Amino acid sequence: MDIFEKLEVLGAAAKYDVSCASSGSKREKHFGIGSTFSAGICHSWTDDGRCISLLKVLFTNECIFDCAYCINRRSNDIKRATFTPQEVAELTINFYKRNYIEGLFLSSAIKNSPDWTMEMLFRTVWLLRYKYQFNGYIHVKAIPYASLDLIRKTGFLADRMSVNIELPSEKSLRLLCPNKTKESILKPMEFITKVAEEEKNFVSAGQSTQMIIGATDDSDYKIINLSRHLYKKFKLKRVYYSAYTPVNHDPRILKVDSPPLLREHRLYQADWLIRVYNFSADELFKSKDENLDLEVDPKVMWALRNLDRFPIEVNRASYEELIRVPGIGIKSARRIIKNRIFHSLDFEDLKKMGVVLKRAKYFITCNGKTFERYLIDLPPEKIKQKLIDKNSLQRPQQLSFFDREVFTSVITGEI
Amino acid sequence: MYKIFLYDGTFEGFMCAAFHIISEGIDKDRAIIVSKDEYQPMFIDSVREIQNDFKTFLEMRKGIIEKADSNVFKKIYYAFLSDTKDKEGYILRYLFLLLTHGKKIKYLYSNDIVNAVEKMAKNVSREIGKYMGLMRFCDTDEGFLYAKFEPKNDIIKPIAYFFKNRLNEFCWVVHDVKRNKIAIYDKKRVQFLTCSNLKLEATQQDEMFQMLWKTYFKAMAIEERKNLKLQQQNMPKRYWKYLVEKN
Repeated sequence: MDIFEKLEVLGAAAKYDVSCASSGSKREKHFGIGSTFSAGICHSWTDDGRCISLLKVLFTNECIFDCAYCINRRSNDIKRATFTPQEVAELTINFYKRNYIEGLFLSSAIKNSPDWTMEMLFRTVWLLRYKYQFNGYIHVKAIPYASLDLIRKTGFLADRMSVNIELPSEKSLRLLCPNKTKESILKPMEFITKVAEEEKNFVSAGQSTQMIIGATDDSDYKIINLSRHLYKKFKLKRVYYSAYTPVNHDPRILKVDSPPLLREHRLYQADWLIRVYNFSADELFKSKDENLDLEVDPKVMWALRNLDRFPIEVNRASYEELIRVPGIGIKSARRIIKNRIFHSLDFEDLKKMGVVLKRAKYFITCNGKTFERYLIDLPPEKIKQKLIDKNSLQRPQQLSFFDREVFTSVITGEI
Repeated sequence: MYKIFLYDGTFEGFMCAAFHIISEGIDKDRAIIVSKDEYQPMFIDSVREIQNDFKTFLEMRKGIIEKADSNVFKKIYYAFLSDTKDKEGYILRYLFLLLTHGKKIKYLYSNDIVNAVEKMAKNVSREIGKYMGLMRFCDTDEGFLYAKFEPKNDIIKPIAYFFKNRLNEFCWVVHDVKRNKIAIYDKKRVQFLTCSNLKLEATQQDEMFQMLWKTYFKAMAIEERKNLKLQQQNMPKRYWKYLVEKN
C-alpha cells in the first residue's frame, strides 16, 4: 500500500477524534526545527468547518478491540492500514515545514497488543524529536492497558497526552466497550497527572480527554458533572465532546439519524461556563436526568430560571454578578469595571464595550433605568421567545468556536 | 492653509513626522502626514519633507511606552500597517489624545478616534493571526522555501518575524504579491526588499507533498457534518488563492 492510500485511510480513521488544540505548550525549546505557539494556530478548516491544526492520524486502524461505536472495531469489514514510525515522522516534518500544520496528533487502534501499539507511538515521537530535531507540537494518545513505563517515556517527548474516557458512565462503557474497563482508562490518566506534577517537561501542555455524546442515554447533567470531576481530580486541560456520528449499526447504540451537533455545542457552552465563569453543575441543572435547553444557551437558561436576581445595576454590580448576565462576557465585564471609575455608564457605552444588548437588555439597568420601559416584569416565557437562538437551531456552531475566542484575544493582547 | 509633512512610508518615518508636529506645537487639525509616494502636490499647501531618523523614532517609542505601555505602542504599530485610508490622520490624533489621557486612553471606548485606531489594529492583528496558519510554503530548486500571499494590510514584517522563529532552520522567501515586497531569511537574519518579477517553481517532490496534503484534507472532512458556510466563515475566500488544499 502506498503512502497516499495509507494517509487517506488513517487520516479518515482519525477524523472522529475532535480534539484540535495546539496551545499551551511550555516545553523548553531545544535546537532544531520549529516551535510551538502558546495560543495555538489553526492551519485550515475542513468542509465541515472544523479547524485543522495538527496532522491527526491513527498509527494503525487494525484493532483487536470491538467497541460498538467505533468504525475501526475488529468486527467491521473495512480497509486496514498501518504506518511505520518513519512514514509518520516524514509526513509530519514535510507538512510542518510547508506550514500546513502545527504539529502531530497521533492516535491509534490497538494492534497486536497495547504494549506493541504504545511502543510504536513512542518510536514515532522519538524519531521526530531526536532524529529530525522536531520542536513543534505533539499530542499523543496513551493506550489503555499499555505499560506505565512506556507511557512515561512517551510523555517526556510529547506536549500533550490524552486517554479517551469514551463514554459518560461506567454503565455505558460496559455496554459498548466490552474490552475496556473504567480502570483501564482512569489508571493511565491518573498516572499522567501524577508524573506531570512531579516532573518538568512531561506533557507540558497538559492532559485532555474526549467523550462521545448521544450514543447512550446519559443526561447532560451526568456529562457535565463527570467533566467537572475530571477537571478537578486529574487537572485536565480540556474535555472534548464528540457528537456521535452513526458509523455502525449496532442495537446497543441509541438510534441517531444525524450527529447531535447542537447538543454538543450546548455542552461546550456549559463546560465553558463552569471552567471560566464559575458556575457549578448544580446551578445549571435542577435534576440529574436533566438535559440542557437546546433553544437557548445555558447562561440564558440559567438566568431565566433565576429572574429574581435580576435586573442588576451595571454601575454597581460586582464582576461576579456582571459575568452572569447573558450578553456580558469576561471581556466586556472587565471593561465595565474599569470604565465606570471615570463616569457612570449608559446603554450606548455598553454597546461600544461589546455588550450584546439584544440579550443583556432584559437583565440589566443603567442608572436605575431599563433599556426600554416595557421590559420591566416580562414573564420568563416571553423573554425566552425573544431570545431563542434561531441561527443555532438551523446551523449549529462547532467546537473550534472556543479555541478561536481564546486565540484572538491572546494575539490582540486583550484578555 | 494645511501643513503637509511628507515621510518615507515607513513606520519609523511616520513617527518622526508625528514627533515634529507634536514637539513644534503645530495645530493637529492643520497638519497632514502623507507618504511621499502618495502625495499629489497642491500649491496652496506648505510642504515639508521629514527625514527618517532612527534616534527620533526610539525617543517617540520610549515616550509612548512611558505614557501608556508597550501594548498601546504595539496597537499604534498595527494600526499603521492597516490599509485604511488616512490611517496617518487617525494615528496622529490618537497620539495627541495619548498626550492628554496617558494610560486611560485604553478606556475611552466612546471616542471615535480611539475606536477607529482600535478597529484598525484589531483588523491587522486578525489578519496576521490568520496568515500564521494559512501561509503555504513550497520547496524550490533554489533550495529555499517560498510562500506567496496577498494580504489586505501591509503585514509582511510581523509575518516574517513570526516565520523567522518558526522556520529558523530553513532559508525562505515570503512574497507579498500585491505590494511587490519580499522578505528573505538566510538562517541568520531577515531582509526586506521590493521586487517586481520573482518567478519560483515548486520542485517535483514538493508537488507530491501538495498532493498528499490535499488527500489528507479531503479525508478529514466528516460528510455528515458538512458545513461549507462555517468553513468559509473561518477561512474567508480571499485566503484561498494560494491555499494548496483549495486549488
